Formats: sequence, C-alpha cells, structure tokens
Amino acid sequence: MSYLRECLKSDILCMSVGDGEMDLLRVENLSVSFFRPEGEIEALKNVSFSLREGEILAVMGETGCGKSVLCKSILKLLPDIAQIKTGHICIRGEEITGCSEKQMRKLRGHFFSMVFQNPMTALNPCMSVGEQIAEAVRLRRPQLTGRERKKRAAELMELVGLNPPGERAKQYPFQLSGGMAQRCVIAIALAAEPAVLFADEATTALDVTVQAQILELFLELRKRMGMSIVLVTHNPGVAARTADRVALMRDGELFRIGDVEEIFEEIIYNQNLT
Amino acid sequence: MWRKFLRRLYIIKILHSAVKFVLSVLVLSAFVFIISRLAPGDPLYAYYGERVEKMSVEEQEQARTRLGLDEPIPVQYVRWLQGAVRGDFGISYQYKADVKEVIAARIGNTLLLGGLGFLLIFALALLLGLFCAWREGQAADRMICRIGTVTSCIPEFWLSLLLLLVFAVWLGWLPGSGAYSVGEEGNAADRAAHLILPLAVVVLGHLWYYAFQVRNRLLEEVRADYVLLARMKGLSGKQVLYRHCLRGALPSYLCMMAVALPHILGGTYVVETVFSYPGIGTLAYESARYQDYNLLMVVSLLTGALVIFCNMLARTVSERIDPRMRMRTIADGGEVRDL
Repeated sequence: MSYLRECLKSDILCMSVGDGEMDLLRVENLSVSFFRPEGEIEALKNVSFSLREGEILAVMGETGCGKSVLCKSILKLLPDIAQIKTGHICIRGEEITGCSEKQMRKLRGHFFSMVFQNPMTALNPCMSVGEQIAEAVRLRRPQLTGRERKKRAAELMELVGLNPPGERAKQYPFQLSGGMAQRCVIAIALAAEPAVLFADEATTALDVTVQAQILELFLELRKRMGMSIVLVTHNPGVAARTADRVALMRDGELFRIGDVEEIFEEIIYNQNLT
Repeated sequence: MWRKFLRRLYIIKILHSAVKFVLSVLVLSAFVFIISRLAPGDPLYAYYGERVEKMSVEEQEQARTRLGLDEPIPVQYVRWLQGAVRGDFGISYQYKADVKEVIAARIGNTLLLGGLGFLLIFALALLLGLFCAWREGQAADRMICRIGTVTSCIPEFWLSLLLLLVFAVWLGWLPGSGAYSVGEEGNAADRAAHLILPLAVVVLGHLWYYAFQVRNRLLEEVRADYVLLARMKGLSGKQVLYRHCLRGALPSYLCMMAVALPHILGGTYVVETVFSYPGIGTLAYESARYQDYNLLMVVSLLTGALVIFCNMLARTVSERIDPRMRMRTIADGGEVRDL
C-alpha cells in the first residue's frame, strides 16, 4: 500500500500540518433549517465541534436528531429546501462555508468522502462494481491511464477485502451481499483518498459479524492512511469500540462532546442515579 | 470445447427467438383473419362498388365463389395460409391487383415519412427529456413543459391544415400535397421539400409525449440513493445525469420506443390523408373500411410482425444495458448459473 501513502503525501490538501494547533475540521455554531410549505424545521441548532488529524469521532444520538444532516451539510449535499442559516465550516483553518458548487465538488472528491447507510441502494445498479470504483479513481486522479486506473481500483478492492478483485470487479451490486456491497462503497470512498471520511450509519444495515469486520477495517484504514473518521451511529457499542471521542446529539443540538471513557462513565453514572 | 458449447447456446437462443416470432405472427394472422371476417360489411362492395346493388342474388353468389368467400372461415384461413407460405397473398378487391404490388408502390413513402419521423422523435425526445430533467423546476423546464403539453393536445389534422395554410398557401414556400411533383420522381430535393410539412406534423404530434416520459423517468432516477454517492465522488449534477441516471432510464425508454415504432409508422394516416401523401397508412384505413380482406391481412401482419420484432429487439438491448434483466431471465428459464 506504499503507493497509496505516497499519493497521499504528494497532495497538498492531504499534507499534514502537524503542529497540532490547527484542527482538520472545525464546525462553529452551525444552524440548518428545512423550509417546508408547513413552515421552517430546525434540523441543526448551533452545532460546534472540531475534528483532529487521525481521530475517530463518534456522533451519537437517537434517530432523527440530525446526525445525517450534520454530515450532509458539511458536504453541502443537502436537498434544495434545506439551508445553512448561520455558522462556519473550516478545514485546516480555511473557511469553506461560502464555497461555490464547483469548489465543493473538488473538495468532495478529494478531501471529504462519505459511506452511506444502505449499501444496496447506494451503488448504481446498472454499473459493475469495478467501473464504479474506477470512476471515483478517475475523478481523483485524472492523469492516470485506463490500465493504471484499473490497477488502482483493484488495489483498493484488495484493501477493503473484496477478493479476488479481478472477479469482483465484473460483478454488479445486486450480486453482492450487504457486507460486500458496503466494502465496495468504502472502496469508492477511499478512492478519493480523503482526509476526512464520514461514515453515516455505515454498519447499521449489516449484521453483527460483518459490522465488526467493517469497524476493524475502519481502524486499520486509519492506521494505514492516517485519515480522520466521523462515525455516525446510534449504537453505543460501536462508538465505545472504535471512537477516540464521542459527540452526543439530541433534537438538532450537540450537547456534549468528550473522550470516549469520560462520556461513557458519565452515561453509566447517570443511569445509576435514576 | 467450452466456447463451442457457448456458441451453440447462442444459436439455440436465436433459433428459440425465431420460432417464437413465427408462432406469434401465426397467431396474430389467425386473429386478424377471423375478426375481419366477423366484422359487418360486404367485401363485394370493395370489388364491384355500386354495381353490387344491381346484381342478382345468383350473380352475387357466383362472385363470392369466385373470390373464395363462400366457404367456412377456417377453410378460408387454411387456403390463405397455403398461399401465403408460397408468397401469394391474393389480390386486393379494391385495387384489383396483387396485394404485394399495391403495398410495394406505397411502402417506401411511408417508411421514409414514418422512419424519419421516428428517428427524429427518438433523438429529440431523449435530448428534450434530458434537458428538462437537468433544468428541473427552473424556468426553461417549466416553459418547455407548458409548450409541450399544448402542442401534444393539438389534433394532428388541425395542425396539418394550419401548417398547410401558412407555409403552402400564404407563404408558398413548401408544396402542400403528394410525395413529389409530377415528373420529378427521382429528384431528392423535391422529395425532401414535400416531406417537410408532413414530417413536422408527425414529429410535433408525438414528440412531447415521449420527451415527458424520458423526463419523468430520469427524475425518478435522480432521486435514487446512488445519486448521492455519485455526487460524493465529485461528479457534477450534469455528469451524474449522463453517466448514471441515463443508464438506468434507457432500458425503459428503449422498450417504449420499440412499441412506439409501429405506432408512429402506422399512425401516419391522418397526415397522409391531409397531405395526400401516398403511403400505407391510408391503405390500412381503407382496407379495413371496405372489407378488402387480403390487403388488410398483409398490412396488419406487417405492422404486427414489426411490433413483435421490435419488442424482441428492445428486450435484447435492455438486457445488454441493465444486467439485472439478463440475470432474471436466466433465473426464469430455470438454467443454473454460478453468479
């Protein structure tokens, strides 16, 4: 995988700042509303947090509390009816809140990447898996020739455990199991060689064994590629197992953020009180 | 060895399709034959015209026997089939000539008008649908939707007359009737000039229906989950539309257009009538109206065979584009294959 690491190093966006003072991603007072005919719905209220280099941050909360909206608003993938009302989003100290769609597109394929909840619908049913991964590779590294691109896609497939890559590449999403499809989505996300990977309920649709394998994979990827991961989940077990820090959300508010031991001790203490 | 086996499988598949095609056409021919004979009306009128009324009952009986119309329908059908297999489709009662000759004289004109119209509709509907889906909800999209709805509601004959009035009568730019000027049969420019107005009516009459289908199908795809992942890769909205959504929408569009081909080809009779364009559409209409059985049989079989053939073709093409269909047919056929 030295090739991957070299690619990462050579890129300006992914070059480590290293002084530890500047956060990789910082979100300040982010408020997002959905404007519906029935009225305004506040999905996020003054959310602030920061993400450090190489860190896994678990965002926890019940269903509908705004976890996914948080990810999507950072990536500007929200539907047209949603709007960022206030707040700043900065990467490495640089503000991206007002970025144009074109600039965001560049960031999405290069700096951010996202893994979605349901792998079976996230993949295009009419394209072979290899083709979909190769497309992401092409967008990230347009200078590669067709053969290099295929080689790169095969490397990525091997990295996420889609073996043997040659045969898997020819398959279509409907021929894969849920776990395999999720690996494929992760391979697509990794093709962007992101500095930040958002995993939006990436393991929710999978059974426990596969879930454990995918989480293992995340940990290994962080170690190998040094990327930060925002792990959105409503499963405390997942958060406790993988995360360095945990953020808790309720009703669009991020009300608590801290180290994983700290937070879980607090939760257990509170439960004992009641 | 393995490859040889596969090739044989392929040949079997083609043979299978061919047999299905022939059987379908056969069933269709039986249906058309029986229904046309059960319909009210007297075919003798087609042959003798007004003179039938002056004929005595014996003379009418004799005429019927001569035309082979006095036997029971199944016997007539078998006799027709025997002729058809040898390439003899009988004579047209109305034109008193071999059916093949009557059709051959006109089918080129219809193929030119309908075929060109179909190609134009096929391409334009796709482009228009793509454009509208890309600009969904914006001013351009809403404008096109409105204009499209209005044009598709205008009756063909009225639009034909309007175009005739403006371009042939008032402005005098284009000829208003026929397929070519007298004595200019081989002149391509003259033919093209005669084709413009009928073609415009054929295209305008059908275009929006198909473009709207493309638009809606694409918008359905745009809302699918995989679009988010595609945008995640860094593709723009337009690129997602072309590279991802179109691929999902194409199979259903191709199927729709395959069914539309005979519809557009055969549905030109209003235009043909208004522009006095010598085509097969008018022929089909008249043959049904005047009980011209032999002619009706060949015209409907031509259209029917085209429908069946196009459906088979559309299916094959769709299977190539969307792998899910291919696998499903294999599963249906009971063949076991390692996926």
